[in-house]
Amino acid sequence: MAMNSVVETDFPETFVEEMEKLQEALPRRIDANPKNVEKGLAKLVLTLVELIRKLLEKQAMRRIEAGSLSDEQIERVGETLMKLETKMHELKEVFGLKDEELNINLGPLGDLM
Amino acid sequence: MKLYLYGIIDSSSMIRESIYGLEGSGVYNIPYCDIGAAVSEINQPIQGVSERVVLEHEAVAEKLMEKFTVLPFRLLTILDGRENVLSMMDDYYDDFRDNLDGLRGKVEFGIKVVWPADKVKSRIINTYRAKNRNAHLLDDSVERRFVREKFEEHKIDSAFRDKADRYINAMDVFLGKFATAKKLETLRTENLLLSAVYLVTKDNQDNFREAFEHIRTARKDLKYLFSGPWPPYHFVILRRKSQPLRNSGQTAMFDKVILQPTLVGADKTWQ
Amino acid sequence: MDNITVKSKDVTLVEILDRVLDKGVIIAGDIVISVADVDLIYLGLKVLLSSVETMERIRGAPFPSPMQEAT
Repeated sequence: MAMNSVVETDFPETFVEEMEKLQEALPRRIDANPKNVEKGLAKLVLTLVELIRKLLEKQAMRRIEAGSLSDEQIERVGETLMKLETKMHELKEVFGLKDEELNINLGPLGDLM
Repeated sequence: MKLYLYGIIDSSSMIRESIYGLEGSGVYNIPYCDIGAAVSEINQPIQGVSERVVLEHEAVAEKLMEKFTVLPFRLLTILDGRENVLSMMDDYYDDFRDNLDGLRGKVEFGIKVVWPADKVKSRIINTYRAKNRNAHLLDDSVERRFVREKFEEHKIDSAFRDKADRYINAMDVFLGKFATAKKLETLRTENLLLSAVYLVTKDNQDNFREAFEHIRTARKDLKYLFSGPWPPYHFVILRRKSQPLRNSGQTAMFDKVILQPTLVGADKTWQ
Repeated sequence: MDNITVKSKDVTLVEILDRVLDKGVIIAGDIVISVADVDLIYLGLKVLLSSVETMERIRGAPFPSPMQEAT
């Protein structure tokens, strides 16, 4: 069938490759298969925890940049962020989840993270 | 009778051209007031999203675009019976009417740009580290070092995003001049610097194309993709919220999932 | 699925998919028959290229080819 729209590029493979990165191999919604329900819920919960952790990290960095934290405060922030990161790592291992799996597609709003 | 929907057109007359859609069925217009729904009948259940269905759908949308102002439908919108199609147009009439008026004589173009994210980041990292050569000397604890490294990451990421924004704004200065509307997405992936759609009037198509050629030759180190003209998929805005699937529909879905483990449990069809 | 040679037509398909999968007129409600409960947003080129074979295998029969008309 004839198409009027053209797609012009000198690098078709490059663009296909990038677009494919936007799609996950597995669906991101909760699978109703009983075997996977637990993992699906863990994914959801950990995604939210990870979001909060990232937001905290970002907030801390902004405050450091603005120079509004004392040396002691910076130490404590460092300690907290380290612990959070370690904990997340452990939780991901327990549930067998990879970084790429912790994300939620919000439709028109794109990915959560 | 299952009806496959291709688009809403600003016409309540018969479609004179021979347009064929899925299953080779003829596409015809179901009118409502001064608009209409271009549909075709489908008899076989559609098993999934196949290349054929996608291309057939798009071919019809583009044929409609030749003769009408069209609001293209999302893929695989299927209604059961003429009554439901009329009811749908009744529900969304105001939205459809407004969109048709706003999109008349306009087409969509897509532009994507890829940049070498690794190289850009390397340069930023080198600059940053050169400027902060001795920062690590203040690492008197594990925590301090952690924070410094995180901070470096943060600064590099900010610089990376700022650079992306600067590149994009420079391009948009030229492209935006000939567009009545646009949607720009920055860094959809690290390498996909820009993913944009522009709404351009038919009269301005050549100007727009020229603007694109200008930026393509201005920055030869980037990779470009130009596509169009498309029906205005990205510029259809429906104010009326769609209803979520009713519970009965969802339960039926779960029943299917549990009863057919080979389809879902295997996870092959989803990959 | 692993060694697909990317042809120019694939980039066309990707551009079309980027539009038809979750843009355009989107209506929902009980009058819309969803197709095999497939959630379109999660589909993409990888799924697309395999779905026809998978579906044909599940069906136990190939899909009939469409009439090549008009275009």
